[in-house]
Amino acid sequence: MVRMFIAFLCAVVGAALVGTVIQTQFNLAELTALSVDIEMSTRMETILHDLLHFGPVIALILTPTLLIAFIVARGLSHFLPKFERIWFIVGGGVGLACAFIVVDSLAPMPTLIAANRTLLGFLLMSATGAFAGWIFDRLWHPQPRELAEELPR
Amino acid sequence: MKRLMMGLVLLIATSAVTQAATLRTEILAEKLNFPWSVAELPEGGFLVTERSGQLVFISESGNKRTVELDLPDLYVAAQAGLFEVLLAPDFMTTRELVLSYSCGTERANNTCVVRGILSPQPPYSLLNTQNIFTALPKKEGAAHYGARMTWLPDATLLIALGDGFVYREQAQKLDNHLGKIVRVTRNGEAPDDNPFNHSQAPEIFSYGHRNVQGLIYDAARDAIWQHEHGPKGGDELNKIVKGGNYGWPIATFGIDYTGAKVSPFRELPGVKPPLYLWTPSLAPAGLALYKGDLLVTHLAGKRLQRLRLVDDQWQLEGEYLQDINARLRAVYVAPSGRILVLTDSAEGQLLEVFFED
Repeated sequence: MVRMFIAFLCAVVGAALVGTVIQTQFNLAELTALSVDIEMSTRMETILHDLLHFGPVIALILTPTLLIAFIVARGLSHFLPKFERIWFIVGGGVGLACAFIVVDSLAPMPTLIAANRTLLGFLLMSATGAFAGWIFDRLWHPQPRELAEELPR
Repeated sequence: MKRLMMGLVLLIATSAVTQAATLRTEILAEKLNFPWSVAELPEGGFLVTERSGQLVFISESGNKRTVELDLPDLYVAAQAGLFEVLLAPDFMTTRELVLSYSCGTERANNTCVVRGILSPQPPYSLLNTQNIFTALPKKEGAAHYGARMTWLPDATLLIALGDGFVYREQAQKLDNHLGKIVRVTRNGEAPDDNPFNHSQAPEIFSYGHRNVQGLIYDAARDAIWQHEHGPKGGDELNKIVKGGNYGWPIATFGIDYTGAKVSPFRELPGVKPPLYLWTPSLAPAGLALYKGDLLVTHLAGKRLQRLRLVDDQWQLEGEYLQDINARLRAVYVAPSGRILVLTDSAEGQLLEVFFED
């Protein structure tokens, strides 16, 4: 149970970190496309700001989404246990994509997260759910070869 | 009605920031469905737009009657609907007025402006309506239309527009109307002395706006004052100049609703900085000039603010109407000098307020 909880926590945090950095890059790319110069130090400051302020928001979306997605993935892996890792990856990705669609339909604005305005942004942001699925199953049910992996010295 | 009027005359000793003035409030009309703007008629009474699409005549005694209006492409949803009614400067002789509204469909809509002639006496109808401006491109969604308007001394019309929310970068591009203030003649043509001449958007007067909700011309100072909504923080008061870039979304004091930065920059070279900021956002909606001061009503902030220009800086002089706990959509100072305020709800009110300086 503790292992599962830690795995879930790592999945949420990992996906929130990656999702935040992705959305920041999309926002900054839109500005550079308008001929605004952005120095590396400014980029780093923006990422840090977004990790502190956007990170908790995406984590809030991820938590219930992954909870539902992983329960479904667990159910599917009962029937096809060989593909458990795939179920969690697909479940996380599809679940987060669905969550974005639901949030956008409920929020007063057409698209809550600016990076989701483009198809590429939407797919990449949704892929962070798949990444969460991989993290979760990798930590919860590591495969024999993964257990045999040695830590880097 | 008289009894209602007398009964509802409220003396609101609102605690102003400077305690400079108190405010008395009188309800002129009630049960207005999300009223958006009001115009005082010279023959008496008021025209009020309801966002749901009705143009309503309200007599001095408070009786309401819908004005017959033909807007076949009106689109009503969320923030979309019928917006501002503005009488022409020569209304006394021509009976002309302009109306802004959202036109199109859910998949393709934007802000449109028509002009029409108000029939001479009640029951009123709007005749000979003709489109004079359509903001392009048509876009999806029902957010950020701007739609406030004001006349300039040369009888051209300024129309404030919005960025459509999800099209914010378009506010910096001069080939479209999203996030702009445009200037047109009464026939809808772009005047020759407009600052930009892109063939797709020669009407542009200024750019880099998010969602303009207040726009007035100050004859005494020969200045155009404007305010616009920032996202989370960064609501701005600006002095609009021809060709000016007001920064959205490359420079802003606000952040996105998700907490993410829209831009790392608050100011940039070539971008006009705001003259006054509301952070956290109060959602200003409505702007009027009163004795040289600016009156600003707020939606989320649920208050009327009075700003005074001191040493070239706008300063908060007082805050009022917080007692009624209502979202305030608009404030107008009518040609007669009456101060009119609209509350924003399905049971909206038209108020007259009196400063007791």
